[in-house]
Amino acid sequence: MALDMGAAPETLLSVRGLSVAAGDRPILTDISFDLAPRSILSVIGATGSGKTVLARALASWLSPPLRVTGGRILFRGRDLVADPAHARSLAGREIAYVGGNPAGALDPTMTVGAQLVEKLRAVRPDMSADDARKKAIRLLEAVHIPSAQRRFHEYPFQYSGGMMQRAMIVDALISDPALLIADNITQPLDVTVAAQILKLMRELNAQFSTAILFICSSLPVACDASDEVMVLHEGRVVERQTPAALVARPGHAYTRELIAELPTLWQGGENGASRATDRERRAIMSVRGLAKAYEVRARGQAGISRVQAVRNVDFDVFPGDNFGVVGESGCGKSSLMRLLTGLERPDAGSVFFEGENVGAASPKRLRELRRRFQLVLQDPYGCLPPQSPIGAILEEPLKIHRIGNAAERRDRARAVMAEVGLDDSLYRSLPTGLSAGQRQRLNVARAMILEPRLLIMDETLSALDQTEQGKLLDLFDKLQAQHGFTYIFISHDLTMVRRVCSRIAVMYLGETVEVAPNERLFFDPGHPYSRALLSAAPTLEERRYRPEDCLLEGEPPSPIDLPPGCAFASRCPHAFDRCRTENPALRARGGHALAACFLNPEPDIGLHETVTETPHV
Amino acid sequence: MTSTDLPLAMAVPETGRRVSTRIWQTAFASVEFKIGLAVFVVLLAAALLYPELSGIDPSKMNIRAKLTPPIFMGEGWSWAHPLGTDQLGRDMLARALVGLRYSLLIGVSTTVLMLLAGAMIGLFSGYFGGRTDTVLMRLTDAQLSIPMIILAITILGVSRPTIPSIILVLGLAGWPVYARVMRSTVMSERRKEYVRGAMVLGATDLRIMFTLLLPLVLPPMAFVAVLDIARMMIFESVLGFLGLGVQPPTPTFGNVIADGRKYLMNAWWIATMPGVFLVLTLTSINLMGAALERARNSIYGGA
Amino acid sequence: MFILRFLARRLGQGAIIIFLVSALIFTLLRVVPGDPVRLMVGGMAPDTLVEEIAAEMGLRDPIYVQFGRYMGKVLQGDLGESFVRPASGAAVGGASFDDATRGERAKVLDLIAETAPMTLQLAVLAMVFALMVGVPIGVWGGLYPGRLPDRLALYTSSLFVSLPNFWLGIVLALLLSVKLNLLPAIGYRGFSYTILPALVLAVEIAPFIIRTLTVSVAGVMGQTFIDIARVRGLSRNQIVFRHALKNSAVPLLNLLGVQFSMLLGGVLVIEFIFDYPGLGLLTINAVMQRDFPLIQGIAIVTAAVFVLINIAVDLLATAIDPRLDY
Repeated sequence: MALDMGAAPETLLSVRGLSVAAGDRPILTDISFDLAPRSILSVIGATGSGKTVLARALASWLSPPLRVTGGRILFRGRDLVADPAHARSLAGREIAYVGGNPAGALDPTMTVGAQLVEKLRAVRPDMSADDARKKAIRLLEAVHIPSAQRRFHEYPFQYSGGMMQRAMIVDALISDPALLIADNITQPLDVTVAAQILKLMRELNAQFSTAILFICSSLPVACDASDEVMVLHEGRVVERQTPAALVARPGHAYTRELIAELPTLWQGGENGASRATDRERRAIMSVRGLAKAYEVRARGQAGISRVQAVRNVDFDVFPGDNFGVVGESGCGKSSLMRLLTGLERPDAGSVFFEGENVGAASPKRLRELRRRFQLVLQDPYGCLPPQSPIGAILEEPLKIHRIGNAAERRDRARAVMAEVGLDDSLYRSLPTGLSAGQRQRLNVARAMILEPRLLIMDETLSALDQTEQGKLLDLFDKLQAQHGFTYIFISHDLTMVRRVCSRIAVMYLGETVEVAPNERLFFDPGHPYSRALLSAAPTLEERRYRPEDCLLEGEPPSPIDLPPGCAFASRCPHAFDRCRTENPALRARGGHALAACFLNPEPDIGLHETVTETPHV
Repeated sequence: MTSTDLPLAMAVPETGRRVSTRIWQTAFASVEFKIGLAVFVVLLAAALLYPELSGIDPSKMNIRAKLTPPIFMGEGWSWAHPLGTDQLGRDMLARALVGLRYSLLIGVSTTVLMLLAGAMIGLFSGYFGGRTDTVLMRLTDAQLSIPMIILAITILGVSRPTIPSIILVLGLAGWPVYARVMRSTVMSERRKEYVRGAMVLGATDLRIMFTLLLPLVLPPMAFVAVLDIARMMIFESVLGFLGLGVQPPTPTFGNVIADGRKYLMNAWWIATMPGVFLVLTLTSINLMGAALERARNSIYGGA
Repeated sequence: MFILRFLARRLGQGAIIIFLVSALIFTLLRVVPGDPVRLMVGGMAPDTLVEEIAAEMGLRDPIYVQFGRYMGKVLQGDLGESFVRPASGAAVGGASFDDATRGERAKVLDLIAETAPMTLQLAVLAMVFALMVGVPIGVWGGLYPGRLPDRLALYTSSLFVSLPNFWLGIVLALLLSVKLNLLPAIGYRGFSYTILPALVLAVEIAPFIIRTLTVSVAGVMGQTFIDIARVRGLSRNQIVFRHALKNSAVPLLNLLGVQFSMLLGGVLVIEFIFDYPGLGLLTINAVMQRDFPLIQGIAIVTAAVFVLINIAVDLLATAIDPRLDY
C-alpha cells in the first residue's frame, strides 16, 4: 500500500546523534537508531525519560522551548532537521502520529468522517471528496468500528474512548504513511479495550505494511506489541533487544530494575491471599441488592435517560478484611463508593455498617456514623482543600465532630502526621509542595484521625508509581496491625488487588459478576469477564489466559441502553442463547466463591444462602 | 458587561501562595496595570485634595468670569480656571473633581453591593441545585431580561434620587450576572473531591459553603468586579445626564455634561472637558481591571 | 423532534420570565411615589377630579386586582392604552387635559410597533459596525496571546469601554456634524441620520466582542485538536479558518444573547441624545411622563425579545457545536 514500495531503501528511518533540549536543559542526548520498513519498534522509559519528546521530534512537532540541538533524522535518506519544509510536507502524509489523548484530538464541532476526509484531502489534494469518503469508511470498517457507514457521520463526543482511538488510527493510516508514531496510545484506555487496540495495531501492521514506532511506559505492553524494544533512560538509549531477549537478559541496570519491580499475578511472592479473615464474626459491612440509577439528559436524544450505574451488588466485608472491588471505568465503582459512604442514597437495596443501614440513616445519624468509617479519595491533587495548611486540614475533622480543644487537636494532628510518616515541620505548610505519595499519606492521616473502624480506599494508589505504592501498602499494613482497621480497596488495578486483598469483587457494568477469595479468582475465575480482565492484564508472566480466547471484538454496551440478559454477552466468546435473554444472578461455587454466570453448575444450596454468603465450613 | 466572560466553570488551581496574592502579583507585573494605577492615583489624589487645597468652591458663581475657555483655547483664558468656567462662572476643574468623588463613591459601593448579593444567591443556587436553583435562576433571568437602565430610570424617575437610593437601585439591577457566574463556579466546585471529602468527614452544608467554597470562589470574582466599578460609574453618569442622578447643585459628571450641552455651540468645553476626566478615570480603572482579569485567567488556566 | 421539545421547554420558561418581569414592573410602578393621574390632569385640576378619574381607570383597586386585569388583557394581545399620548401626534401635556380626548389615546402596541423598526435599524447597523471592528481585532489578538496584537486588543477594548455613550455622542456630534458637517445628528429624516448614533452604539458594543473573541480564540488555539492538526497535515489556514474560528463563535453568540439588554440600555441613552425616534426615546419619555401602561408594555416586549433572542442564540450555538444540549 505504501507509495514506491519497490524503491524503499533498507532503512526507513535513521536517527543519528539526535539531541533535544528545553532551553539549556538537555532532554534527549545523542539518540541513534534505525527503523526498518514494516517493523514495530517499541520505545519505553519512565516518566521524564524523554520518550514523548522523541516522538514529537520525529513528527517535527517540537514547540518552544524544545528544540533540536544536534544530530539528524533521516527519513528515506533525507534529513528532516535540516529541511523543515520537507518535514512539513511529510507530516500527516508519510509520517503519521497518533497520541494518547483521543478525546481531544479532533474538532468537537465537526463529524469524525468530515475530518477524516478533510485530513486526507489536505495531504492528497488530488483525491476527490467521494473517493476520500469511501476510503475513510473502508478503513473505519477495517478497525472494527461497528456500523461504520453511520459512525462516519457522528461527532467525536458520540464515540467512546476506545472507538475514538480507533478513529485516530484511521486518521493516521488513511494517507498510507510509511511510518506511524504511536505515542502512548493505550494509556487512557481500559485494559480490555487496550488489549483490543494492540491486537488491531498488529493486524494493521501486517495488512498495511506501515512501520510503527510504539511509545509506551509499560514494559509488558511494549513486549506484547513489538518486534524490538528500545529502552530510554534519562534521555539516552540504554539498550535495544527483542522482547524475549530483553526479559531474559536485560543489559542495563535500569531495565533490570524495571523488570524486578513488575508485580506478578500468578507467580509466588507476597500476596493478599495469605491474610487471615475472621469470618466467624459479624460482617462489618454488608451490601445487599444495591442499585442506583442516575437521570441524564443524553446528548442528541430527547428527554431524560436513566443510567443504571449500580445494580445487583452484593458482598460482605468482615473485620480485618482487605476487600477489593475491581472493574474498568464505567463499571460503577465510583457510584458504589458514594453509596457505601452515604454520600448518595440507593434506589434499592441496603448498605449495613455494623448492623446499621447507611442508606437509610438520617443526616444527623450519618454524620455520627462517619466517625467510624472514612473514605480516602482517588486524586491526590483534587481531594485536599486548596489553600489550607496541612495542620488545619488534619484538625478540620476533629472540629467538625467537636472533639477536644485547640491544643488537644493540634497534638492529635501531630501524632497522626508522625504515624503516617509526614515530617512535623510540614504542620504549617500548604499541601502544594507535597509529592503525590505524601499527599496520599496526608489523606490517610486525615481519614484516620477520627479513629474509624473501616477505611474505604477509592483508587487511592492509582496515581502513585510502583515504589511509592509499595511503601504506602506497608504503611496500611502497619496501621491495620496497630488500629485493627478494615480496608475496602476500590481499584482498576488487578496487580494491586492481587497483592493486598484477601477477597475480591469483580464489577462489570454496575454488577458484581464475581466475588471470590484472592487465589480462587486468579487461578480459577468463575466468570468469563474476570478471565478477560486477567487475560488483558499487563504482565510479563506466561499468560494463563490469552486475550484472543477470552475477548471478542466490540465495545461494552451503553449503561443507558442495557441489553436484556447478561451484560457481558456481547463480548463473551462462550455466550449462548440463554445469556442474551436472562441475566444470571450471583451463585455459590463453593469455597466462599460466587459468580454470576450460567456456565457454572447449578448449586444445590438454596438461593438466599447463595446470596447472603454465610460462612459454610 | 464584564463578568460574563468569566470562564463559566473555573477550575480552582493548586497553588503555593494564595491565589489572590498570585493574581495581584501577576497583574502588577504587567504594563497595563502600572499605567492604569499611575493615572488613577494622580486623579484620585487630585479629586481628594484639589478642591479643598485650592480653596475653589465648585458651586461658587462668578458671573464676571463666566464662559472662560480652558487654557490656551480661545480668547480670554486664565490660569485661575485651567479647564475654564461654565455659564455661571463656576470652575470646571473643581466641578469635575468633585464629580469624580461622587462617581467613585457610587461606583465602588454599587459594585460591592451587587457582588455580595449576586454571590450569595449564586452560592445557594449552585450548591443546593434542584428547586432552589430553578426558582433563583428564573428570577435571575427575569432580572437580566429587563435592561438595567430601564429599571433604574423607572425607579429613580418616579422617586427622588438620593445617593443611597442610587446605590441600591444600581446594585440591585446588577446582581444577576454575578449570581450566574457564582452558580456555575460553585456547581463545578462542589463536584470536586475535596468537597466530597469534607462531606464524608461529616461537615454540614453551611460549613462547606461558607468556610470551604466561598473563600475560594469569591476572590477571583472580586478581581474581575474591578471592571464593573467603571461600568457602574458610567451608569451613575448616565443617570446624572438624564437628571436622575445626584441632584444639582452637587456637581456630578452627568449633570455637568447635561448642563453644558445647552451651551455646546458657544462653550463646547463645558460638556466635553469633564468627560475627558471621566474617560481618563474609567480607562485607568479598566486597564487595571483588564490586567487583573488576565492574571486571573492565566492563573486559572486560561479560558 | 428534539427541536420541538426544546422550543416547547424554552418557550414555557420564557413565559415564566415574562410573567415575572410584568409582575416586577407592575408592582414597582405602583409602590413608588408619584401619581400618574395627577400628571395627566395637571396640577390645576381639583383633587376630586383626580380621584374620580383614578377610580374610573381602576387605579385605586388593590394591586393584585389591577395586575390580574392587566395580564388578562395582555394574554389577549392587548397591552392597553397610553395614559398621555393621543392616537396621533405628540404627547398630550397635563395642561391640555380634556375629558373628550381620553377615548382616543394611542394603543401601547401601536406606539411600540411604530418605533421598533427604527430601533432595529439602529441596532443592526451598530452591530455591523461593531463586528467589523471587533472581529478582526479580537481574532488577531487571540491568535497571538501576549504579543502586540493582543496588547492592541486590550488597549482598544479598555479605551472603548471607558467612553460613556452620552459623552461620546456629544463629542462626535460636535466634531462630525457641527464642525465638519459630515453627518446629520439630530432627529430623523433619512438613513444617514442612523449612522452617527450607530457609531456611538458600536463603540459601546465592540469592546465586549473584542474581549470575548480574544479569550475564546486564544483558548481554542491552545486545545489539543488544534495543536495536533499540524501533525495531521492540515495547513495553518485550514486550522484557523475552519476549526479555530468556528469553535470560538459559541462564546461570542452567548455574549450577544446575554448582552442584549445592555444593547438596549445603550440604545435608550443614544436615542435620547440624538433625538432619534425609536423605542429608547419612547421609553425615556414614558418614564418622564409616568406613562405606566407604556412602560409596562415596553418591559414586556423587551423581555419577550430577550427570551426569543436567547432561544435563537442557543439554537445557533447547538448547530455550531453539537455537544451543546438542547
